[in-house]
Amino acid sequence: MKLKFLPKQRSSEFPFTFGAPAIIWQILFFYFPLLIIVVTSFINISELGEIEGVTLKKIALFLSPTYMKVILSSMLLGVSNAVICLLVAYPLAYFMAIRGKKHKNLLLFLLIIPFWTNFLLHVYAWFFVLERDGFLNTLLLKIGFIHEPIHFLNSIFSIMVMMVYYYLPFMVLPIYSSLERFDSRLIEASLDLGASWFQTFRRIMLPLTLGGIRAGFFLVYIPSFGEFAIPELMGGDKYMFVGSVVSHYILGDQTGSLGAAFTVVACICLLLSAVGLFFLLNKIILPKRKK
Amino acid sequence: MRSITLKGLSKSINGGQIIPGLNLNIPAGKFFALLGPSGCGKTTLLRLIAGLEKADEGQIFLGDEDITELPIHERPVNVVFQNYALFPHLDVFDNVAYSLKLNKTPKKEIKEKVCKILQAFHLESHIYKFTSQLSGGQQQRVALARAIINEPDVLLLDEPLAALDFKLREKMLIELIELQDKLKTTFVYVTHDQFEALTVADQMAIMNTKGQIEQIGTPKEIYEFPHSSFVAKFVGTTNILSGKLRQIDTDPEIEVADLGKFKLSIPLKKQWMKEGCDILISLRPEKIFISKKEVPNFSNKLMGTVQSIVYHGRSTQYNVVLRNGLKLQVFEQNEEHFPQQVIDYDNEVYLYWQKENVVLLEK
Repeated sequence: MKLKFLPKQRSSEFPFTFGAPAIIWQILFFYFPLLIIVVTSFINISELGEIEGVTLKKIALFLSPTYMKVILSSMLLGVSNAVICLLVAYPLAYFMAIRGKKHKNLLLFLLIIPFWTNFLLHVYAWFFVLERDGFLNTLLLKIGFIHEPIHFLNSIFSIMVMMVYYYLPFMVLPIYSSLERFDSRLIEASLDLGASWFQTFRRIMLPLTLGGIRAGFFLVYIPSFGEFAIPELMGGDKYMFVGSVVSHYILGDQTGSLGAAFTVVACICLLLSAVGLFFLLNKIILPKRKK
Repeated sequence: MRSITLKGLSKSINGGQIIPGLNLNIPAGKFFALLGPSGCGKTTLLRLIAGLEKADEGQIFLGDEDITELPIHERPVNVVFQNYALFPHLDVFDNVAYSLKLNKTPKKEIKEKVCKILQAFHLESHIYKFTSQLSGGQQQRVALARAIINEPDVLLLDEPLAALDFKLREKMLIELIELQDKLKTTFVYVTHDQFEALTVADQMAIMNTKGQIEQIGTPKEIYEFPHSSFVAKFVGTTNILSGKLRQIDTDPEIEVADLGKFKLSIPLKKQWMKEGCDILISLRPEKIFISKKEVPNFSNKLMGTVQSIVYHGRSTQYNVVLRNGLKLQVFEQNEEHFPQQVIDYDNEVYLYWQKENVVLLEK
């Protein structure tokens, strides 16, 4: 009886004890502020700071086409960043997990190194690369590929370069870990059964690493959607994304509750788009099952 | 159904030579077993034939066609992998249909073919299960069905039954034999288990630890007439005696130190057999007659003491110590419930054998 009793007690109480600090932290500093934001966006505050009742006006304000366009372009930014990262990360992760097995620790280390330096330094480094007489233009002029320097900075191009550069490791790591668990004998089995390399990739590798792809995709998509610093620094003030609108209202005079309302609208859109993307990914990658 | 011919095939992995210039002919439509100890290179050989490895030198022919340079997915050769390598994200149907779907076979035809083969393998009630929900034997059958559905010329089996328990393995062996009989596909069965090889093979080859083929023949030839002590020892159990060859031309004998002379028969005289040279003889345990009393009509006789007895069910194994300290194994069929003479520990026994049942080997 004793033996039966003991493990049960452990399994039910110990995890809670150890998990409690994190749970309390999360409640205090995430769920509670989130609640404040949601509440703020639905109540009417007078100029004196008194609560005057419930309103949907603020939410309705942001359902207009102007703001929807901002949200849509943020989605587009997030999706294109996630897709480009995926395209770049998959071969890299494949190489690290399957070909570079001997040096995998070194390769992982190299991947993590950029996180050791400050984000702003990365941005300035890219300025030097992309500016009018910067590294890239000089190089292209030297090899005769172009005759006039190209204006790279303050464009979608420079935003995307920085986004991909910054978010790539978040895509590589989960894909790497799913590829590392992937049984490469399945590749042999597939080739043996007559599949070409592409068919093997499409029908065996992709579906079996979907977990990593999905994790990486959302690790990149969700923060990219709300990304504030990169579009602001690399795009000049030409482009409006969700992050810049939120910061505009939150930091503005007396407009904090509008910022909260926009955040709520944007978050709901983000949630819906994430659900949609989840099913889209499944549909693209998993084999059809109709029986 | 085509034959496989290997010409001067060699392969090194990480600087170590695995296959050293191998020549081998695997006849068409036969069940061919490749038997060798673990790590001898038999799996590498199979991978070379399948195209999973590239040969350093030499050629591989399928019938008359040189397939040495043919990429793996274009070779009409399929493998049943040791761990089955079933696709975990596909159900039984899709696993089996995999190769058919690749070459755009019409859906109706795929369904017909897959259902037919699943029925033949008694898997019809598991069509929509994932492979992780199947037992070891069922997974094995799925792997087989998947490999043969596209009617390959050659089916390569890499220790396919290693993960199954003994009873199931025996059953699957019989199923494999019947399957091969029906399909007439060339089967190449790689194993380190002599029981499996002897059971399934029409023809078998023994590979030694250096990756060389020691002998090719029917299971009976291999077992009864091994060409080398490696084959004699590796296939089945045997007693090896070492001694000198005497009276080669008149009445051949082997002279074993401290034990005396034993009669031999030499049906075919080989080059190396010379008067007085060192030789080995292989004497299978079941070819020795054990008795507590003296019996007439045997060409050779030895005396010893029973040291231990192992009861196997259908037979009993006696380990007998000879005068010079050498141990011999003897098998006796348990033919009767109540045998007339009971041999016990420490009994003095006579061991008899006929000179024709001994195989002479080069030392």
